[in-house]
Amino acid sequence: MQDHERDNFEAKLTAYSLGELDEAERTAVERHLAQSESGRAFIADVRATAATLADALRAERALVLMDPQRAAIDAAIEDKRPRQPSTSRRYNPFVPISIGLAAGLAIVALLYVVFVRQDTYHVTAARSDGSFRNIGQASVTSSTGNTSRPPPPNLTPEYAEAARERVRREYAAGLAQQRNAAVYADAPSAAPAALPAVSRPELSELRRDGFGLQANVGLSIESQRVGHNTESYDRITDNPFLRSTDNPLSTFSIDVDTASYSNLRRFLTQGRLPPKDAVRIEELVNYFPYTYAPPTNGDPFAVHVEIAQCPWNLSHRLARVGLKGREIPEDQRPPTNLVFLIDVSGSMQPANKLPLLKQAMNLLVEKLTENDHVAIVVYAGNSGVRLPSTPCSEKVSILHTIDSLRAGGSTNGGEGIQLAYSVATENFIKNGVNRVILATDGDFNVGVTNQGDLVRLIEDKAKSGVFLSVLGFGYGNLKDSTMEKLADKGNGNYAYIDNLAEARKVLVDQMGGTLFTIAKDVKIQVEFNPARAAAYRLIGYENRLLAKEDFNDDKKDAGEIGAGHTVTALYEIVPAATADAKRPAVDPLKYQPSTRPATSDSPELLTLKLRYKAPDGDISKLLTFPVTDPDRRFDKATDDFRFAAAVASFGMLLRDSPHKGNANYDAVLEFAQGALGDDPQNYRHEFLDLVKKAKSLSGH
Amino acid sequence: MIDRSKPNRTNHDGHAPGHWLRDAVDRFERPLLLYACRLLRDTDAARDAVQETFLRLCRQDPANVEPRLAEWLFAVCRNLAIDLRRKESRMSAVDEILAETQPADSPQPLAEAEARDSSSLALHLLDRMPPNQQEVLRLKFQHGLSYKQISAVTGLSVTNVGFLIHTGLKTLRRQMTADATART
Repeated sequence: MQDHERDNFEAKLTAYSLGELDEAERTAVERHLAQSESGRAFIADVRATAATLADALRAERALVLMDPQRAAIDAAIEDKRPRQPSTSRRYNPFVPISIGLAAGLAIVALLYVVFVRQDTYHVTAARSDGSFRNIGQASVTSSTGNTSRPPPPNLTPEYAEAARERVRREYAAGLAQQRNAAVYADAPSAAPAALPAVSRPELSELRRDGFGLQANVGLSIESQRVGHNTESYDRITDNPFLRSTDNPLSTFSIDVDTASYSNLRRFLTQGRLPPKDAVRIEELVNYFPYTYAPPTNGDPFAVHVEIAQCPWNLSHRLARVGLKGREIPEDQRPPTNLVFLIDVSGSMQPANKLPLLKQAMNLLVEKLTENDHVAIVVYAGNSGVRLPSTPCSEKVSILHTIDSLRAGGSTNGGEGIQLAYSVATENFIKNGVNRVILATDGDFNVGVTNQGDLVRLIEDKAKSGVFLSVLGFGYGNLKDSTMEKLADKGNGNYAYIDNLAEARKVLVDQMGGTLFTIAKDVKIQVEFNPARAAAYRLIGYENRLLAKEDFNDDKKDAGEIGAGHTVTALYEIVPAATADAKRPAVDPLKYQPSTRPATSDSPELLTLKLRYKAPDGDISKLLTFPVTDPDRRFDKATDDFRFAAAVASFGMLLRDSPHKGNANYDAVLEFAQGALGDDPQNYRHEFLDLVKKAKSLSGH
Repeated sequence: MIDRSKPNRTNHDGHAPGHWLRDAVDRFERPLLLYACRLLRDTDAARDAVQETFLRLCRQDPANVEPRLAEWLFAVCRNLAIDLRRKESRMSAVDEILAETQPADSPQPLAEAEARDSSSLALHLLDRMPPNQQEVLRLKFQHGLSYKQISAVTGLSVTNVGFLIHTGLKTLRRQMTADATART
């Protein structure tokens, strides 16, 4: 057994001794113990040590609160309403942060300075001052995956093939293990449950299911939402209908992320409906490629607007805005400077995390050429450069490094990001693609890492031309909103990778779009003609809304579009002819001159405006398209239109949106079934399966 | 969809509202103070953090917090302590803490003398471990939290918590054995 394997195994035995294993693991350990005397002795030792320690700690004498403090708490219990501890004998140091933990986080500032010490092969990072270390995240002893190692002596092609093969096998073996664990979990337990050696205080009777303790991610701990585990999602409220007389302009930033779709696929595949806030409708719609024609006039993208009847409310209209990014042929790709920033903390061990990522990286490296450079930075208890920027002509040493990555240790994403950016900056390729690719299960130690500082760092670096992509892995601890935010600020994209096919889609098939930005800060502003549209609602994009003034403000950051990418946005529109203008109007203003639009006779339904910048530009360019409603029925719309509408209604059903109208799973299936088109990669067929799953899970 | 239909237990067993809160304060006052003292190394600051933790608890919906009360309290207390420590950057008042957290000094029967020795040795060795390892070991063996609960409190992964506890116990065991050998 190698050292790290022995460590892992002993850690499992320790967990067993303390009653921490689930039934399947316990059964497996007990099977081993039946054969192993040394194993049994090890367990007896652990229990004896644990008992000594527990006894010693129990004897520590605790303080109690001062009487006035206890009185303040009693008073709060009595009236059970929000109350400042003003009766306390002391000042209240918490007033500034009691508005919520989001603000509290801003106070827990991350104070670190990265010392970059570079000799021939490695760079290490350290905090400057231990005194501000969070007691829970100080240096960790058990990390195995973060020390630099010299490359192996004989880097032959045979070695590379062997490395590739090991990565493949490791992933396959991990998957098999997961399947077995599932089988054990279903089998009735033969052995009696092992008793923990340490008597637990009464706390142990508390339910121990997973749930979302928001404190750790710095999101609002006072949130009323109870998740399933420590995954966290920001709350999303569906965009409401707005009257076009009051709000003629709708402004938002494009979003090409698709993570929400693969995340919900993971939930449904596991037999659960996703939490409402994990469903971002625009990401579901944008998961699918659409057959919009690419630009022919030299613009970075083409714009296609289509309007037809809204399928979930037949008296409404549905407008689809579709963008298609210019495609870049493989041989005209600019050179790339990629820095993988990989989370090798202990939680990345399961087959669907690090082993899957390693497989995915192998696939990508195969595609890259001598013009491309790859570096690998890992982070766990501390961070290190595992592979300095290396041209892809040296595939063997890249593949070797990928093969040697191991999980173990705790996470501090903040330091790793610093280090990755410094590697990217040192190897910057002018006119090339410079990108940090962060791969994690989201276990950022935001306890010390201030999200605000991280975001600022990422924004700064994006301005200098180093963009960020985020790949999310695994489940149970996914900090979905954090990752989306980071990618967003880094002019990048966020994808959730739940299986090898998804890894291939993101890193290989869509490599162009995922890695090569062709326009940045792409904003859309739609002006509705109140004479034609009484009210409208943007479907999804809730966290991408911009103020109308932001549209012309080139300092305001917005979304990016990659080579060959399609971006789709949908509006539900209440025609002016329909009496049910959705939103109650405010009383007419008494002192304002009446502002009847001068062009109210115009047949146009809306005007679409877009602004974008070249990837290295600072000044935006404006495109304007007036659009008239051709009065088309839903069944006469294109396949792409009907499919996008089906996906949007699916999202509204999962979100239980107040605007879902007559949407139901059968209708979604029917619309999607009739709009499968060519579907070369089978994405749309897979969608049908997911809808059926959701339908049966929701009991419809 | 998430099941939000858990019964609101505020009034179960005929207790008046607020009863669960009083139970919680009684049960967790000392454990939280021990914990906060370790984080802050200042008894007054620790009392402030714990007071504020309970005041925040009073503002929570019991149905939300009760099933995960221990983790909630330790996590909130921890965050408050970290905020406070950052703000004040207090120098540690080690003497004060030592004075208030020493093992009970009641007369010991002879048979317990040996155990008492290994107790003080264990505490001494624990004090020499990295702070995060101490914290995890204390949450486990002083406060009885499970790996999962500790992970929820500290933000470390469950695997990581397991590793810290495993290596911590291993260190203790090795050094205590060495000490016993040295004495014979």
